[in-house]
Amino acid sequence: MNEIGGAPLFFLEFGDIVIYFTPFTLTLFLLALVFSVFVLVSRPERQLEIAFGGDAYYAKEISLSELRFRRFMSIACGLACMGAMVTGDVFDFTLFVSLVGICNVGIVAAVRSRHVQNAAYQYGLVALAGTVPMFAAAGMVAATTGTLSMLELAKGALTVPLAAQALLVLGVMGEGMAPFYAAKAEMFRAPGAPYVIMCSLSSLLIFLRVTEVILLI
Amino acid sequence: MKKQYALALMLAAAVPGAGAMVLSSQGLIPFWAYAAVLIAGFPLFVLGLGLYWMAHEGEADIPFLGY
Amino acid sequence: MIAELLFATFFGLLLLGIHRKVIARIQRRPGPPVWQEILHMLKFSFKTTWVPATASTALFVGVVLVAIGIWTAALLVILSGGSLLVIFAIYMLHKIVEHGFGLSSGSPYGKFGGVRSVISAASEIPLFVTVAAIAIFTKSLMISDIVAYQELEGPLLATIPLAAVAMYVVLLSKMPFGPFSIVESKELVSGYKTEHFGVWRAGLEVCNGLKTYVLLLTFILVFIGSLPFWMVLIAMVLITVSLSFVCAVSPMLSPYDSVTIQTLIAGLMVAYVAILGVMS
Repeated sequence: MNEIGGAPLFFLEFGDIVIYFTPFTLTLFLLALVFSVFVLVSRPERQLEIAFGGDAYYAKEISLSELRFRRFMSIACGLACMGAMVTGDVFDFTLFVSLVGICNVGIVAAVRSRHVQNAAYQYGLVALAGTVPMFAAAGMVAATTGTLSMLELAKGALTVPLAAQALLVLGVMGEGMAPFYAAKAEMFRAPGAPYVIMCSLSSLLIFLRVTEVILLI
Repeated sequence: MKKQYALALMLAAAVPGAGAMVLSSQGLIPFWAYAAVLIAGFPLFVLGLGLYWMAHEGEADIPFLGY
Repeated sequence: MIAELLFATFFGLLLLGIHRKVIARIQRRPGPPVWQEILHMLKFSFKTTWVPATASTALFVGVVLVAIGIWTAALLVILSGGSLLVIFAIYMLHKIVEHGFGLSSGSPYGKFGGVRSVISAASEIPLFVTVAAIAIFTKSLMISDIVAYQELEGPLLATIPLAAVAMYVVLLSKMPFGPFSIVESKELVSGYKTEHFGVWRAGLEVCNGLKTYVLLLTFILVFIGSLPFWMVLIAMVLITVSLSFVCAVSPMLSPYDSVTIQTLIAGLMVAYVAILGVMS
């Protein structure tokens, strides 16, 4: 196996789907795990805002029902992320990544603010559109090489078309929201640090992982 | 945080770290195990040490009053 | 390994002190002593520490541990000649740490610092094509293999100078007071670290020391190759001084300009690597 992310440490086989840990995927997996634990144990922060036209400021509180839903979504996102980090199957990877996208929309859409919901709606459209090239890429890999296993593809005997690789990257960029949507002012009005961080963390993790996948296959 | 808790935190990080260093130099544990102990232990050690030497003995720290 | 870890922390902080001193001398100020950053770390560790009432406690504290942990991991990966991809992954995850620092307190200054950190990630991710450029030549991303390749073929700095420039920009964007240091710009007080004080800030300083050491060491190992230890240290100081010159004479860009320029550099890099890939 091509040692892109370091020498493989451990393989876990589920039939022909192989989960593998290299130092690279293990690092990413552990980070996703650590932040999922933070989501589980921490209360959201109370974001301070200034009331316009005076000296007053107030702290935004998150209601319990909103907290529960967003915490659930964040943990689901963390789990999906962990899956996407260690799977050795292209289709599995795309599935996990699309789940990350769905959870990210959920985390943001639960905020009861019109502006944040607008941003969440737009992100939802992009994430939805992103699934098309991503699954198309997985389909093209299967059609051209006859396998979806990254370990098989990494051996170098089979060539994955450049178009499939490009579509995969495009799709993952659609699912990973944080860097592209952080610039939207409405997005960072959303309080709830542990959950918002899960959005950015999952996005960066899937970008990092797709880099490895592209170099591998 | 009470001073002895901070001390306990620091020691909980330092003792396995030192132990892993000795075991690794003897070749008894693999490199990755030593690395894992250090990665988990070093941050705890830094914070534990800092909390230990600034903590007052006896009562807890000044509670925060603001906002 | 523990000795290396402690040395890296203190030497990294010393490099940051040299950075400040050089900037000050270029700007005709006396500047702080070069060991100021080490004193800084010690000073913060002696200060009274608590967690702000509005903060998300577990995240507020946990993110400091993660910050030190990931750079400890990065140092160990380099010392054991591991994969360059892991180092870059940790570099990217540092963005999340900055984001976590900023968001966890509930302070608007921290929040803006954290958000700026994430928006600059959008432009820094493509700089990872440096990794691809290296892989084209060395056929491996293991640092040990890259070093071995350079012993046979000469430094990669001469082979792929533009990739070295891109990596230099990555270094520059992580140096304080630089044109791309929008995450801790003065209009945000201290940016993402505003609300982390006392021991938390001391932990952050330890992380900064380690980070500086690791990134400079990566640059040297990947583009110059293996050198005797004392020459590595001299090379680190020289690179730091060159970075200080850039930082001293260039103003901090506005967030959008910073992202635009980084994106342009990243675009150029993508084109460069595409050409390299076609030629090879």
